[in-house]
Amino acid sequence: MKLIKISVPAFFTLFSIIFLIASLNLPKANLGNPDAPMYFPVGISIIMLIFSVIYFIQEVKNLHVENEEIKQILSGRTPKLIGFTLLFGLIYAFIFNPLGYLISTIIYLGALLFYLNGYKKWLVNIIVTISFSFISWYAFSELLGVSLP
Amino acid sequence: MDVSSFMEGLSIALEPMNIMWIIIGGFLGTVVGMLPGLGPATAVAVLIPITFSMNPISAIILMASIYYGAMYGGSRSSILLNTPGDGSAIAATFDGYPMAKNGQAGPALAISAVASFIGGIIAVVGFIFLAVPLADFALKFGPAEYFLLMLLTLSAIIALSIGKMVKGFLAMMIGLALSTVGIDTQTGVYRFTMGIPHFSDGIDFLIVIIGVYAIGEVLYNFLNIDQQKKEKKKVGKVWFSKEQWKRSRMPILRSGPIGFIVGVLPGAGGTIASMIGYTTAKQTSKNPDEFGKGAVEGLAAPESANNAASVGAMIPLLTMGIPGSGTTAVMLGALIMLGLRPGPLLFEQQPDTVWALVNSMFIGNIALIIINILLVGLLVKILDTPAKVLYPLIVMLAFIGTYTLSYSTVDFFLLLVFGLFGLMMKVMDFPIAPLVLALIVGADMEQNFRMAVLSSNGSLGIFFSSGVSIALLVLTILSLFYPLILKLVKNKNNNKTQDDEVYKSS
Repeated sequence: MKLIKISVPAFFTLFSIIFLIASLNLPKANLGNPDAPMYFPVGISIIMLIFSVIYFIQEVKNLHVENEEIKQILSGRTPKLIGFTLLFGLIYAFIFNPLGYLISTIIYLGALLFYLNGYKKWLVNIIVTISFSFISWYAFSELLGVSLP
Repeated sequence: MDVSSFMEGLSIALEPMNIMWIIIGGFLGTVVGMLPGLGPATAVAVLIPITFSMNPISAIILMASIYYGAMYGGSRSSILLNTPGDGSAIAATFDGYPMAKNGQAGPALAISAVASFIGGIIAVVGFIFLAVPLADFALKFGPAEYFLLMLLTLSAIIALSIGKMVKGFLAMMIGLALSTVGIDTQTGVYRFTMGIPHFSDGIDFLIVIIGVYAIGEVLYNFLNIDQQKKEKKKVGKVWFSKEQWKRSRMPILRSGPIGFIVGVLPGAGGTIASMIGYTTAKQTSKNPDEFGKGAVEGLAAPESANNAASVGAMIPLLTMGIPGSGTTAVMLGALIMLGLRPGPLLFEQQPDTVWALVNSMFIGNIALIIINILLVGLLVKILDTPAKVLYPLIVMLAFIGTYTLSYSTVDFFLLLVFGLFGLMMKVMDFPIAPLVLALIVGADMEQNFRMAVLSSNGSLGIFFSSGVSIALLVLTILSLFYPLILKLVKNKNNNKTQDDEVYKSS
């Protein structure tokens, strides 16, 4: 818990430093002031760094304060649910073009529903998966003119 | 107000297709707004793809109807489940849920719909009178004033996230940092593209919005998805008694203008409007003790205020192109995608668009009161649909929406990254609106800043050169110190009370 609490401000601090270095190393402009493209990002990264450090100090001071939601995110089947949704989202991204919208959506939505809603409600899961996939395909592809693979 | 433009707008709004979009948008907005944890910004974000094949007028009409549909919908779950759709529906739980528990669910739903309707209509009238003068005033703004106005909007939205200002600033800085990715439009320099051609045009803010709002919210709702209680409510007759109307009508009429004004202010929005509406109703009530136990006026007042605020929030969006809230920021993003640039020139160049929207709001509010009263049985049934079925559908809509932006599955990866980031923000209690707002106005803010400095030969004095600039700067500083001032005033009052008590006891 404490590690997660401290890792968020640490992430912001690290991100600010990386962003500052990247901003200072931006290519020079050939038109007008050569440094013009870097002023705004440099300003942002400096302010972000200042607030990241303040946030870091605040979190260190409040390290003992429990965050119920961090507890929840790590308990029960919540981490699995989040991980599963993201992992299958990644797989969906890979299969979307090769398999096409309909098949890939049936696979992803079906997997999500079976995992989230449970196997016992298989009939509802199948009906929702198939009807949503076909209706959304028809609505976007045919009615709204969106080109889906 | 130009009457002919108004009439032309009315005729556009009354076109059958647009009426159909108003009804569809209002219904879909109500449905998404009803889902626990999902508010108007998410509703607009996931339903954006529907607008892509439309003409900009129909698109803005649809988005606006989704917006205020979600405002209506948010209160349904507040009243029936004690679970607000979003912040602006929280106040509806104070007396709406106790009413439902007391067997008054039907009257509670009816009075909230009628209050929302009246609040919305009051605000539309306010819009008609305020929008044109404000747009005329905004025409005088140069790059320096625009930069400062955006700064004020961002600082106001951070200042209002009281207790988490540092996180608000960080969210804003992340939004601004993301807005710098891509080719710099003034010099052609590639910035932070990491050699990925897909990033040359920048990170599409709609992907961030859909990721943070839709995916992030769904993942966040997974935290307690197995604990979500199933409560079946008997709604009964959906209308209210004469006595209930008598008690509610004045609070409704008072809260409408309050909500409208709060909605116009940058950063404020529905949550604050409904809270002020509730507090005002309690302060002016003859029976303040009944508040929190099912007082009908305690439900009617915030409902009127938050719907009025949603119309008020359209004013800075349309007259200046500056969104004052998360939802209007999402709408601005979608409008830019459609080639419509809100701002003062919109009133001069495309008055029909503006007046069609205004008229659609009248029609939309009428449609919504019908939807929310006549179709209450259907809405309650939808509310009974398990979240475990609905959330995967929201995820799928988010993916479809993302794909329609540039027909690239690369964006799916970004969607998931920002979904995870949105979850982190929610869990660590970061305000999301500053991120979205900064991301959308970031590029304009930088360009206006640079144009202003360029026009004054590198001098920063341009930001102090006009009365408007100075006023905006003062307001920005005041808004940033607002939480501190509030704390000082509270401490002073507490000290005074303690002194009085010591004096009395001695």
